[in-house]
Amino acid sequence: MDSTNLNLGTDEWVAAHAERSAGTPGPLDRARAAWEAVPLLVRVLLPVVLLALVPLAGSSYLTRVGVNLGLFALLALGLNIVVGYAGLLDLGYVAFYGFGAYTFAMLSSDKFGLHLPTLVTVPLAVVLTAAFGFLLSLPSRRLLGDYLAIVTLFFGQIFVEFAISGDSITLPGRSQSSDLTGGSDGISGVDRFSLLGLRFESDAYYYYLLLALVLLLTLAIYRVDRSRVGRAWRALGQDALAAEAMTIPVNRLKILAFVVGAGIAGLSGAIFAAVQRGVFPSSFDLPLLILVYAAVILGGSGSLAGALLGAALMSLLPEALRQPAYGEWLFFVLLCLAAVAVVRRARPLLLVAVGTVVVGFVMNAVLLAAGVQGLPAADWTQGLLSRGMGRWLFVPVDRLHWGNAAFVLLVVLLAVASRIRPAVRIALLPVLLWLATFVWFVRLSPEPSLTRQLLIGALLVVLMIVRPEGLLGRKQVEVL
Amino acid sequence: MPVQDGEGARAEALALRAVSKSFGGLTSVDALDLTVGEREVVSVIGPNGAGKTTLFNLITGVYRPDSGQILLAGEDVAGLAPSEVTRRGIARTFQNVRLFHNMSVVDNVLAAMYGGTRTGLFAAALGLRSARREEREARARAEELLSFFGTRLMGYRWDQPAYSLSYANRRRLEIARAMATGARVLLLDEPAAGMNPKETHEIADVIGRLRAEKGYTIVVIEHDMHVVEGVSDRVVALDHGVKIAEGGFEEVALNPQVVEAYLGRGTAGTK
Repeated sequence: MDSTNLNLGTDEWVAAHAERSAGTPGPLDRARAAWEAVPLLVRVLLPVVLLALVPLAGSSYLTRVGVNLGLFALLALGLNIVVGYAGLLDLGYVAFYGFGAYTFAMLSSDKFGLHLPTLVTVPLAVVLTAAFGFLLSLPSRRLLGDYLAIVTLFFGQIFVEFAISGDSITLPGRSQSSDLTGGSDGISGVDRFSLLGLRFESDAYYYYLLLALVLLLTLAIYRVDRSRVGRAWRALGQDALAAEAMTIPVNRLKILAFVVGAGIAGLSGAIFAAVQRGVFPSSFDLPLLILVYAAVILGGSGSLAGALLGAALMSLLPEALRQPAYGEWLFFVLLCLAAVAVVRRARPLLLVAVGTVVVGFVMNAVLLAAGVQGLPAADWTQGLLSRGMGRWLFVPVDRLHWGNAAFVLLVVLLAVASRIRPAVRIALLPVLLWLATFVWFVRLSPEPSLTRQLLIGALLVVLMIVRPEGLLGRKQVEVL
Repeated sequence: MPVQDGEGARAEALALRAVSKSFGGLTSVDALDLTVGEREVVSVIGPNGAGKTTLFNLITGVYRPDSGQILLAGEDVAGLAPSEVTRRGIARTFQNVRLFHNMSVVDNVLAAMYGGTRTGLFAAALGLRSARREEREARARAEELLSFFGTRLMGYRWDQPAYSLSYANRRRLEIARAMATGARVLLLDEPAAGMNPKETHEIADVIGRLRAEKGYTIVVIEHDMHVVEGVSDRVVALDHGVKIAEGGFEEVALNPQVVEAYLGRGTAGTK
């Protein structure tokens, strides 16, 4: 073989990369570039300082929200390792949170008359939960995907069942049943933390502890992610057989991911038990599991910053939405996002916006002319937009019937819109947008408890359509 | 360019002794003996279903042989976990490229250094000096390995996800990844499959350099006879899990049994 006239091993494509990639960056690219231009120290310190100021605002409500966020962020960090890095669909994850909480509660309450020092109980809770994770990972380590999910979901449910019925367990060698978990009443009267002579009298202590822990763990996980172990987790998550063929002992690393995730969840659980000053089985059931998964997936599975952002969104959003005005804002943001997701180009989008305004005024006039009794704007909206809104939107006195009818119409129109040509769909969009707003103000906004869930669900759906890899996640590609 | 080294007998890098494997009633590899000398390039050819890939799976520990020995530098590795076999010195590429597609090019290579490095979870989390040093060394080695392929995998491609590579580059990266395991024996499963003539030429050149410059022992499964002719010291032909011919390229290619295995009875000897 003669290779003199072949230019082997060189690559014009690589050389031309700079020119080729000098295209126009999108708004997200520009935002990212601007953010990355800020010095690293400022980027890290700024949020930390801002977060450290929260308890100083003197609002116990705000501090409690922060504590819940911290607990939730720890959970998300742990789950991100198991699901995001190692790709193990562990649906029993919340059981580790519960296990840590119960362990701490049993060791520091009147339940068994034990009041061990915090410096003993918390590490013990973490280690025992990690050991529990190890035990559960043994039967799970050869399972993949759906099978692992089913088995771990089962483990999670066993934990809840055990906690509920653990108040009458007959231990071997005893004739009478004994109470281990307090049953559905759980364990109350759990000790506060007391570290280095410091008694955790208020939530502010826990807040700062959690802030420090989240920061430390984020740093630690950031380092692990870029180390030999993190790469091995990602490798086995993508192709276990190839990973095994590349000197990575897959089973051992799966177990390690399980154990680390469990330990972090156990830590969060122990703090939770102390903050609540009690543990109850219902805290560790499916709703929490769904929320943690939503946080990790929304933020971008496998992204550390994404897990934190997701945790912040999923724990702050429901709180924020207790305020009807915030709900209103979120509704409009979602509506705009949905419109952008459907249209995606500037000029048609402008037409849709103008069309929506026109549709509103026309509908208003039609309903007035038809003699339908309406409510004054001040009765159904406050805030910035209220003055114009009164002419654009019409809220009938009979909210129930009008709202229900409009809702059915909206669903029918949406179904129709999904079946027609894109050009016609854009023409229909202003009507849909107005109708959605109508349904929101007439029927949904008077019932905030319902709309909170609805809005969060809608937000998740819209975000997953617009950005399936999550807010800060990287696009994942299946190569067959 | 088959390399003839005058010394004759080489030290044994890899040896299979009467290795058999059957799936249900089908015997895929039947009492196979195979010896590969130090720094030798041996090609394994044979029609589809001859047991070539099964042979690779047996050597790398994906399958456990029903009987027989697999000796790596004299040590029996049969029955060990694949990660352990690779750590001891045999690495492979896959017929259907199996990179870690969503990891960057350099991370693919670094991931394969797992067995050769020792930073643990806590050392990494605490950012210990030993962990940082090992990481630096690993990156330097990854750079060296990737530069073996000229500029193909260098420059901005380092941090690109593997899925963004062209097909030929994915195959090259798979070889780089196998090299990163620290193995001395490379098993290449159809390295030139799906490549254009220029890329095929380049792969043959790479195989030659792997042996000449880096001193690897190489077993290669290949259907492209130009590659087989160009790179092999020795060719082994398999059919139905049995070795039907062994020797130099010409000798094996003209062997009536081999021609029959490829083309069917009645055409034997009419090449």
